[in-house]
Amino acid sequence: MTNALEIKNLVKRFGGLTATDDLSFDIEQGESIGLIGPNGAGKTTVFSLVMGEHRQTSGTITLYGEEISKLGTSSRIRHGVSRTYQVPRPFAEMSVVENIRVGLMPDSIWQMIAQGPNREREIELALSVGFDEADLQRTPAELSMGDLRKLEMARTMATGPKLMLLDEVFAGLTVAEIAQIAELIQQMRKDGMTFLIVSHDLKALEPLIDRTIAINYGRMIADGSFEDVIANEAVRSSYLGTA
Amino acid sequence: MLQILIQGLLLSGLYSLIAMGFMLIFSVGRVLNLAYGTYLMFGGYVYFYVSQMLGMPKLVGVAMAGVMGVLMGIAKFKLLVKPLKGDHVAVEISTLILAVVLQAGVVLIFGDSSKILLPIVPGVTYIAGASVTYNILSATIASYAILAILYLFVRKTHTGRAMMAVSMDPKGTAISGIDSDRINMITWGISGLLGAVAGVFFASYTQLSPHMWVAPLILSVAVVIVGGIGSIVGTLVVAHIIGFMEVIVVAWFAPELRGVFTMLLIITVLIIRPRGLFGREEL
Amino acid sequence: MGLRWYHFALWAAFIAFMALLPELVSKGTLRTIIFANFLAVFAISWDVLSGRTGYISFGHPFLIGIGAYTSAILTKRYGFEIEVAIPIAVLMTMLGGLIVLLPALRIKGSYFALVTLAFMELMYQLVQVIRPDLTGGTRGMSGIPTLTRGALNGYYLSVTLMLCVAISMWLLMKTRVGTALSAIGMNEESVRGSGLSVTKLKMFAFLTAAAVAGLGGAFYVHYLGSVAPRALFDINFLFTIIVAALIGGSSTIIGPVIGAFFLTFLLEGLRPYLPGAERYFIYGGIALLLYMYQPKGLIEIFTQGWTRLRSRWTT
Repeated sequence: MTNALEIKNLVKRFGGLTATDDLSFDIEQGESIGLIGPNGAGKTTVFSLVMGEHRQTSGTITLYGEEISKLGTSSRIRHGVSRTYQVPRPFAEMSVVENIRVGLMPDSIWQMIAQGPNREREIELALSVGFDEADLQRTPAELSMGDLRKLEMARTMATGPKLMLLDEVFAGLTVAEIAQIAELIQQMRKDGMTFLIVSHDLKALEPLIDRTIAINYGRMIADGSFEDVIANEAVRSSYLGTA
Repeated sequence: MLQILIQGLLLSGLYSLIAMGFMLIFSVGRVLNLAYGTYLMFGGYVYFYVSQMLGMPKLVGVAMAGVMGVLMGIAKFKLLVKPLKGDHVAVEISTLILAVVLQAGVVLIFGDSSKILLPIVPGVTYIAGASVTYNILSATIASYAILAILYLFVRKTHTGRAMMAVSMDPKGTAISGIDSDRINMITWGISGLLGAVAGVFFASYTQLSPHMWVAPLILSVAVVIVGGIGSIVGTLVVAHIIGFMEVIVVAWFAPELRGVFTMLLIITVLIIRPRGLFGREEL
Repeated sequence: MGLRWYHFALWAAFIAFMALLPELVSKGTLRTIIFANFLAVFAISWDVLSGRTGYISFGHPFLIGIGAYTSAILTKRYGFEIEVAIPIAVLMTMLGGLIVLLPALRIKGSYFALVTLAFMELMYQLVQVIRPDLTGGTRGMSGIPTLTRGALNGYYLSVTLMLCVAISMWLLMKTRVGTALSAIGMNEESVRGSGLSVTKLKMFAFLTAAAVAGLGGAFYVHYLGSVAPRALFDINFLFTIIVAALIGGSSTIIGPVIGAFFLTFLLEGLRPYLPGAERYFIYGGIALLLYMYQPKGLIEIFTQGWTRLRSRWTT
C-alpha cells in the first residue's frame, strides 16, 4: 500500500548550520508517529520542510505517492497535509467561527464569492474540538491557551487533511486541557487520521502514538516502539546533552 | 569623462548623506520615517534663519540646524513612535501626516515662495576645465567626513555596535541587556542630525522651499530599495550608483530622464533581487 | 458578518438622503460634496487593498493617474466617446497596475509601501517626458470632454458613482473573499497555512482596488475637464486619500465615505476662519491628533460612544 508520507534523504542547511541531515522515514496511512528529540534537534524544521515553508537543500518528500517537494505551501495543504504551530496563530480580530471559516475556504476566488460559508460545518468543527456554543462568537483575546490550541486544531482540520502535523500540542496547557486534546486526537485516530506529533510531554504523548522517531542534530537516532526508543542509549544521552 | 567623475562624486557624497539617515531608522527601528525629508527642510530653514536673517556666523547656522535636527528626531521618537508602540503601519501613516503638517508650518512661518541660500563658502575653482563652486566642494568634503565619523562611531563605540545589534536582531538584544528604547532614541537623533545637516547642503545646491522635502525622501526610498537594509557600505555604494547615473543621464541623454532611469533601476532590482543588492536574507 | 435587513434599510436611507440633499444645500456646498464623493471612491479603493490586507499602498495616485490619463488621451486626442473610453481606462489601470506592481507583491510590509511610493514618482516623471504631445507634458491637458455641465448634474453623477462603488464593494467584502483579505491583514502565514494562495488573494485585492481607482480617475477627469501631473501625482493628494480612509474607519466601506466627507468639509469649514496657510496646518494637525487618538477611525469612536450610551440607558 502507499505510505501517507515518505521522506527520503532530506537535507536542509541554513548557511553553515545543518538543521536536517540526511533524514529518511515513512509513515503509513492511519499510523500515528511521535517525533521526539532535545531542544534544537530540528523537529520543527522537519515540519516546515514537509509544509514547504522552507525549501529543502536536497532530498524528496512524497505524500500519498505524489512528490510534493517542489510545491508551494497552499498546494501541499490541498494535497492533504496540514500542521499546527507551537505558538498558535489565530486571526486576532475574528471570532472562533470566522477563524474556522478561513480554514474551510476553497482556494478559488470565484467560489469564495459565489458560495456563502458553510455555517453548519463551521459550528460542527468548533464543537468537535470541544468548544461550547457560548464560545463561538468569542475572539482570540478572550480565549485561554488551551482554547487557542483547540482553535488551531479546528482550523487545521477544516482544510481537510489526511495527515496532520502537530507541533507541541500540549505546551502551556492545564492537565484538564491536555486530557481534552488527547481525547480529541484518539477520536480522530479512530476515524483514520494519520498523525506526526512533536511533544516534550512524553507521558501525554505515549498513548497517542504507534511508533516513535527520535532525532538529534537533524539526524535520525532511533525509530521503533516508544519503549525501545526511550530505552535507546543514544536517545538517553542526547536528552542529557552529552551526545 | 573627468568632468563626469568629478560631478558624480560631488552629487553622490550629498546623496549618501541624505540616504544614510533614512536607512538608519529603517534598519534599526524597522519603521519608515516618511517625514524624513522634513529634517532636510527644517535644517535648511534653520540655517537660513540663523545665518541669513539673524546674520550670525555660518558655522553657527549649520550647528543650530544640526541641533534642531537631533531634537526633532528625538521628539518624533518620543511623541509618535513610542505611543504607537512601533507599529510600522501606524508610524508610516502618522509620519506622512506629520510631513504634510510640517510643510504647512513652514509655509506659515516663511511663506510659500522659494528662498535662495547664499553659498556657505563663496568662490569658484576649476577642476579639469569644469567650474566647481567652493560651496559644493566643501559640502561634499563635509558629507564624506560626516559619513566617515558615522562609520567609525558604529564600528568602534559601544553604542554604535549596540545599534547594529538591534538592527540585526531586536529580540536577541533585549535578552542580552541592551536597552533598545535608548538605542532607538539615539538612532532617531542621529538620523535627524544627518538629515538636517544634509538639508543645509541640499538647500545650498538648489533652493529652499516648503516642498523641498519630497525629493530627498524619494531619493532615500530609491537607495533603500536598491541597496537593501542594514548596510552602511551598501547605502554608500547605491547612493553613488544613483548619483553617477544621474550625472551621466544628464550629460549624455536629457535632464528630464534622470528620474526615469532611477526608477528603472528600482524595477530591475525588485525583479532580480527583491531584498536589495546588499540586503540581508531574512530567515 | 451576514446580510441583515437593517443593512439594506440603512443603505436605502443613505441613498434617499443623498438624493434629497440638493434641495437642502447651496450650489457651492454641492460642489464641495462632489469632491467628497470622488475622494470617497478613491478612499474605498485604497481601503480594499491596504485597509484589509495591511499592505500599505502609497501608489494610489499612480493608479488613479493611469485611469485619468488614459480616458483623457482617448477622448481628446483620438476622439473616442467617453462611454467607450472609461471602460478602456479601467482595463488599462488594471493592466498597468498588474505589470508594474506584480514584483511588489513578492515583498512584504514596509518594502511594499516604499516601492509603491517610488512608482508614484515614476509616473509623475514619465508623464512629463514620454510623448508630451499626448500627455501635455508638465502642463497637463485641458479641454477634455466632460460628461455633464452644472453643479446639480455633476452632483448626481458623482453620487451615483460613489454609491455604486460603495455598495458593490460592500457586497463583495461581505463575501468570504472579504473575510480572507482581512485575514491576510491579521496573519498572512496563517492564511497560507489554511491552504489559500496568498498571492492570488493579494492580486485580486490589487486588481479590484486598481479597477475602482481607474474608474474613479476616469470619471474625475471627465468631471474636471482637465488634468495636471503635479495635482495628481502628489504626496498631498496621496495624504488626503489615505487619511480619509483611516480617519473614517479602515476595513469598512462606510468609514472611508465618512472620512472623505469629514476631511472635505473640515477643509471647507476652516476657510472662513483661516484663509491662509494656517488652514492646512490646522487641518493636518487635526488629522494627526485624530489618528493618534484612535487609529481605527471615527467609526470606532461612534461605536464606542453608542455602546457607552446604550449601557447607560439599560442600567
